[in-house]
Amino acid sequence: MRRQRTTLAAYAISGLIALVALPAALAGASADPGVSSSTILLGGTSPLTGPAAQYASVARGAKAYFDSVNAKGGVAKRKIEYEIVDDAYNPAQSIQATRQLVEQEGVFAVFNSLGTDQNLAVRDYLNQRKVPQLFVASGATTWGTDAATYPWTIGFQPSYQAEGLIYGRYVARTMKRAKIGVLFQNDDYGKDLLLGLKRGLAGSGSKVTAAVPYEVTAADVGSQVARLKAAGVNVFAIFATPKFAIQSYVYANRLRWRPAIINNTVSAATNVMLLASEGGNNKAVEGTITLNFLKDPTNPLYRNDPAMKQYRAIMARYAKGANANDVYHVYGMAVAYETVSLLKRVGANATRVRLMAAARSITSPSNPFVLPGIGVKTGKGDGFPIQQVQMQRWRKGKWVPFGGLWASKNY
Amino acid sequence: MVVAAFADFMQQVVSGLASGGVYALLALALVIIHRSTGVINFAQGEMATLSTYVAWALITHHGWRYWPAFVATIAISFLGGVATHRAVIRPVERGSVLRIVIVTIGLLIAINGFVVWEWGGEPQALRSPFGTDTYDIGGVIVSAHDIGTIAVALGIVLILWALFQFTKVGLAIRAAAVNPEEARLVGVRVTWMLALGWGLAATLGAVAGMMTAPTVGLDPQMMQAVLIYAFAAAVLGGIDSPAGAVVGGLLLGVLLNMLSYLTQYRLFDWFSEELRLPMALLVILVVLLVKPSGLFGRPEVKRV
Amino acid sequence: MTPRQTRVIGFVAFAAFVAFVAVLPSFISDFKAQQYAYVGIYLIALLGLNILTGYTGQISLGHGAFMAIGGYTSAILMAGNEQFGGSVGGGLQDVWTIPFAGLVAGLVGLAFGLPALRLSGLYLALATFAIAVALPSTVKRFDEFTGGGSGINLFGIDELTGSLSGEVDILGRTLTYNDWLYYLSWSIALVAFAGAWLILRGRTGRAFRAVRDSETAALSSGVSLARYKTLAFGISAAYAGVAGGLYAIANTFVNPDTFPVALSIFLLIGIVVGGLGGLSGLVFGAIFVYFLPLWAQGQDLGSVLPDRIIEETQRPGGPAIVYGVVLILLMFLIPNGVGGIFRRVGQLIARRRYSRTE
Repeated sequence: MRRQRTTLAAYAISGLIALVALPAALAGASADPGVSSSTILLGGTSPLTGPAAQYASVARGAKAYFDSVNAKGGVAKRKIEYEIVDDAYNPAQSIQATRQLVEQEGVFAVFNSLGTDQNLAVRDYLNQRKVPQLFVASGATTWGTDAATYPWTIGFQPSYQAEGLIYGRYVARTMKRAKIGVLFQNDDYGKDLLLGLKRGLAGSGSKVTAAVPYEVTAADVGSQVARLKAAGVNVFAIFATPKFAIQSYVYANRLRWRPAIINNTVSAATNVMLLASEGGNNKAVEGTITLNFLKDPTNPLYRNDPAMKQYRAIMARYAKGANANDVYHVYGMAVAYETVSLLKRVGANATRVRLMAAARSITSPSNPFVLPGIGVKTGKGDGFPIQQVQMQRWRKGKWVPFGGLWASKNY
Repeated sequence: MVVAAFADFMQQVVSGLASGGVYALLALALVIIHRSTGVINFAQGEMATLSTYVAWALITHHGWRYWPAFVATIAISFLGGVATHRAVIRPVERGSVLRIVIVTIGLLIAINGFVVWEWGGEPQALRSPFGTDTYDIGGVIVSAHDIGTIAVALGIVLILWALFQFTKVGLAIRAAAVNPEEARLVGVRVTWMLALGWGLAATLGAVAGMMTAPTVGLDPQMMQAVLIYAFAAAVLGGIDSPAGAVVGGLLLGVLLNMLSYLTQYRLFDWFSEELRLPMALLVILVVLLVKPSGLFGRPEVKRV
Repeated sequence: MTPRQTRVIGFVAFAAFVAFVAVLPSFISDFKAQQYAYVGIYLIALLGLNILTGYTGQISLGHGAFMAIGGYTSAILMAGNEQFGGSVGGGLQDVWTIPFAGLVAGLVGLAFGLPALRLSGLYLALATFAIAVALPSTVKRFDEFTGGGSGINLFGIDELTGSLSGEVDILGRTLTYNDWLYYLSWSIALVAFAGAWLILRGRTGRAFRAVRDSETAALSSGVSLARYKTLAFGISAAYAGVAGGLYAIANTFVNPDTFPVALSIFLLIGIVVGGLGGLSGLVFGAIFVYFLPLWAQGQDLGSVLPDRIIEETQRPGGPAIVYGVVLILLMFLIPNGVGGIFRRVGQLIARRRYSRTE
């Protein structure tokens, strides 16, 4: 009896495998560059799973925004389709997924793909094929500075180096002979922030006296924080992603260590800071400095802001189940907004060449999801769309802006 | 100067004991499962993560207080462990080692997927039941949470030890693990005992997860690196020795922190933090090559 | 059926398969050809792992590391490390780096095979797992040599055939880049397949099987455990190295994250699903390794399943649940993999034939 069952199962499985494999083997696709009279197809890779899964909201926020625009008729009579493919933050998968988007799905442009290494891996390929690599979701400097070599690639956010530079200049301006200890992620993101910081400090009496790395795959950074405390620094720069930034605060508090803290933009969303403050019991968060360019959905300052109201409405309608307090959704909407305005400018005659030309000549009056006063602009020699950033300080459970805007071009 | 250095040293020892306590719990879970069913449960970390999310969901979404949620989670995890053994492991137990390995890997992937599917991938907060206070003991700053973790870990280990040593159930489990055929002959329901073993391991994992989350943050990847350290600890102590797992875990936690501490001295400054995990793995390799049965294990004798 | 008849059928089947592989690109889209190129690459790695695990019973959860060694060898031979201030020049054409990739990986495999003798079963699995986990960090540590976390970018360099122009001229014909990858991978895969078959049918293969079935019995019949177990490690590592070199070429890129632990795990899954100890099922194992993650995400399957199900499984985490459950079910239903099914089918046919002659 048992043998019969196994045999049956064996036949069933062979049949199933054949049935599924065959169509997959023979299905073809044409190389249509993603534009029809009724749709525009965009595609991008996103870490839906894996160590960077928390950034999937960048793609989801953009998708929700596109859906809301489509509900109102789309752009130039076309609906925007945005295909998000998981690459689990693995560049090899990004390469394969991007090739699939370009060669099989036939996207018009690769949009909002996340990760520095992930985008570097496909940049040559996309430029060779003249496919736009639009609004790369990463702060590596090269997206803005290498437009001449890679004309089809453009970023969006200020570079990490520029961010580090501003922190350095701020410390140089406000503190004498500060000793700075840095916890940084051991990849381009962390290293760029550190590099910028050092450049910003150059020529002042303050310097980085200890810099300790951690791996993306690390379990926790407790011993790193202990080392920085033992090194006797009075400024602690956290160049880490949210999970490790929260840990840094927790460990600093456990060690009764109260340095002045600089936290980087990637980890400074209000919901992250609230987690770090351990329900108000962790005072290490008080006085933390950071930079920002987006409106934060949990900041009471923007509770009645019309753009934030629109944001919440879009999230409720088109991103059911997602955490609307996650500021990465706002980032996604900001880039989606810019993309829609590019598509509007390009109009009915949508070609990749025209799209990139528009992307390199942005003079956006204002992006509703970006902080007031911060411009979005590109032009000859200026490949970083976001022009300025706002410095903020964490006081009693929220971010309070101070000090005006800092230009965030890479010096 | 020396006092300060000593204080720093003790600091690392204490936090090493706390993280070591977590490794010990998870290593113990691995050992119990291996002793009883001969399986290395690659999904142990994910099961622990799932349990921790259950606790978190009870507290944040359903308003439970911490300790009731803790107890409920332990109960649920126990049942989950038993169910997993009966449903997933038992059908393949008798087969090849490889088949079982693949099944536990399938469990790992599916459970991790479920956690992301149900609760998302962003970090969450599970606050420590011991609060955020710290105590200054002779220059060494110790957090209440670390003390609580060490206490809970040791407490659970003692309870388990008592269970195995002094109760009939414990004796039955040990018998079923060591010699299933003979145990059956004296009336032990072997299959259920093995399932109980899995249930106990799951509860250990749940405690490990709940002790880890307040420090490192709750997210789907939380226990992945811890699992590897737990493997190292289990191998170090002896893969079939519960005492070895506990000692191995504490030892490993302290050892790794020691290396971090010593990097300030020139002799050790090659140890950058990138090498923390590889060092643990080096421990696994060295032990496996020098004395595979670990510190407390007995060498395996092959029967011809 | 006589062994001779089995062998003839085997040859015919193999010839048919070769013909099928040769003409397939004409029937599928250009992009699908690239996907099948990856299937070929995985097949090579699976053939190697199968020799180790299926034939000598040594479990390796770290074969991704051997692929990494092969991949980096290829990349460094092609591009050198001048990109990051090193002094090693590149200059070797991609195709010629592949034998070196296999050689270096094979030597490392041999070196590992010796201490591995002391470990068995789960201990070996743990040790190889440890290596797979430690590899990315170790690669990053030696960044003057390997490019560290950023890796080595191969796109567009002269040594990488066809990447810049998108076309390859060979033997008087012009192939698209994807077809070139396909034929490159599959010609090597078919050679590797034949090679594995030759190794396994001879004395070495018998020795391997003896080691797997009973080490004590093998020892007492004079089979040198040390030699054959180590040899198996070396050969399987060499195969993985070749696959790794091709993988680097196909990706046009190597970095530590392109050889994560998951790769080693997927390779092991591939041989178990494909069928340990046999060769024919491994093709399906390779297809499974490459395509199941895509199918789980609802891609390539859009027309087969209803939308509602696709939506739920496309929620992040859903594909992983599907993958894990499918894996567990496969272990329940086809414990001997696809190869096992083939053998069963073969046995059933043989039995029918015999019962008719009675």
